[in-house]
Amino acid sequence: MRSKARLRFGGTFGMAMLALIAAIVIVPLYWLVVASTKGNSTLFNSNTFVPGSFSALGSNISQLFTVQNGIFGQWLLNSVIYGFVTAALGTYLCTLTGYAVSMFRFRGRAALMSGVLGGLMVPSTVLIVPLFILERTMHLTDSYEGVILPMLVFPFGVYFMSIYIGEAVPSTLLEAARIDGAREFQIFNRIALPTVVPGMVTLFLISFIGTWNNYFLPLVLVSSTAKYPLTVGLSIWLGSVATPGVNQALYPQVILGSLVSTLPMLILFPFLQRYVARGLTVGALAGG
Amino acid sequence: MSRSAKVTPVTLRRSRLNRPGAPLAMVTPFVVLFVIFFVAPLVYSVYTSFKSPLTGQLSGWANYRFLLHDTEYWQGLQRVVYFGVIQVTVMIVAAMALALFLDSPYCRGKRIFATIYFLPYAIPGVIAAIMWGFLFTPQLDSLLGLPRDFGLMNTTVNPLGSKLVLYAIMFIVTWEFTGYNMTIYLTSLSSIPAEILSAARIDGASEWQIARRIKIPLLRRTITFTLVLSIIGTLQLFNEPSVVSQITSLPIGYTPNLLIYTTAFSYGNIPLAAAMSVVLAIITILGSLAFFRIVRSREKERPARKARRSALAAAQSPGRTGAGVDVPEGSGVR
Repeated sequence: MRSKARLRFGGTFGMAMLALIAAIVIVPLYWLVVASTKGNSTLFNSNTFVPGSFSALGSNISQLFTVQNGIFGQWLLNSVIYGFVTAALGTYLCTLTGYAVSMFRFRGRAALMSGVLGGLMVPSTVLIVPLFILERTMHLTDSYEGVILPMLVFPFGVYFMSIYIGEAVPSTLLEAARIDGAREFQIFNRIALPTVVPGMVTLFLISFIGTWNNYFLPLVLVSSTAKYPLTVGLSIWLGSVATPGVNQALYPQVILGSLVSTLPMLILFPFLQRYVARGLTVGALAGG
Repeated sequence: MSRSAKVTPVTLRRSRLNRPGAPLAMVTPFVVLFVIFFVAPLVYSVYTSFKSPLTGQLSGWANYRFLLHDTEYWQGLQRVVYFGVIQVTVMIVAAMALALFLDSPYCRGKRIFATIYFLPYAIPGVIAAIMWGFLFTPQLDSLLGLPRDFGLMNTTVNPLGSKLVLYAIMFIVTWEFTGYNMTIYLTSLSSIPAEILSAARIDGASEWQIARRIKIPLLRRTITFTLVLSIIGTLQLFNEPSVVSQITSLPIGYTPNLLIYTTAFSYGNIPLAAAMSVVLAIITILGSLAFFRIVRSREKERPARKARRSALAAAQSPGRTGAGVDVPEGSGVR
């Protein structure tokens, strides 16, 4: 009896901790929404966690998309372009490579896989300065391709797809197609690909989130303001806010801009979460 | 090799394919990009690091000799190591505790809590740093004045002041990644066979004993993986201090990557920045290899678990080639 009471106490205490931690996770997001409804002066002179007014929200929105000739809209568009192109091309590339690696024996396969595993170990940020030097000699810096192409090299994606395909693609199906004389690329595109769609969705999401959230790489490789993604643009705005003077007015824009760049993902995330979680765990279970 | 042939029965020799060159054609696009955007920068940065910043000519070890006495660089490195020891420990312990509790029968609303905790993963580090950076600014956040209002302190708390700012950044990073690690643990926990757990319960094991004796040991590999990822991430720390430095002032060499960035793009000394990058890469790789080594040698002391481990041993060794690259058995995508 006594131990049961202690258990119940442990459970209650645990639930209280869970709620507290959930609050810590949510508070800054709640604040972001609340602060978006305040103008520059109310931001400093009102209760931090009490909402401002709809009119302030409205004027913040219109200012966000008009200040500096509406550059924020361009940043939003850039983030969408970087994210979608990188995730779509990267996912196809990783699937194709992972398929070849898990389905065939060929010369150079072992070398390729050790390159991929080595790639998992080398932190990508270490490559950024050399990448800049190299892209400069190829005249790739400050271009969309210059940002997207290096992000297509996603060793984790190849590793993930090679494991996923090894388990998900039924061999008999491929054999049958092969006997019918189908070309290997046809077999891949028409037969293998449809069976690995869930894995591709997982990889697409991980890649999209990673690209959308990336900061260091575009910060280094992009120099013209019009090609910034949201992360770089907002941090530059933040920096200009810190300089005292005329730019003070940008606080509400940084706050609302932050909300705009997280809101779509926050709304979709509960639905996408399971796909993403499964993908992240593959690395932990099978590799490292 | 025979083992993996069993795992993937489709594995074919080239002669049996309708198009023998197909596998090579399939991997070519990736290999080309990998060589241009991964291998080449690595090689090129090593080459650049031996150039003289002034003349552009090769100058031997000059940059590395300079780096050896660059106190800013080593202080930054020391700072991220200190950062990692505290932050990674707190984060991993918290993530593990949350996952174990969510996985226990005491927990209500497991799904919704799991979703909430995982949310920060979808939020860019830059945005997380902006939000907390504002909430840590006394003029913006009325909560920070509370200790003073209640007479507990005579000034407003300023988390971004020079004394506390490192801990403020630790807090931001912990906020971002605890749920990510918890999610990995939770998914791994759900793959533990139910028979094992119910057998333990029938034998009268308490939930605490089950967590300690069954769940945590079975998650050893997963924990190692997340620890190595966290160590790598900490040594590369850039986004959060970079954003925080826009709100408050931080030393230029606050973290190695911040110093590399400033050296390359504010001072224009790219050869020295390349040398810094090379040294940081080597330290990172050695650090994570050493960690793997320690974990594995500790595992060796437990012969009982040897059988389970050997099935996965091939995939476990990251540095090894050949045997280590085969698709491991039972590494299920669930």
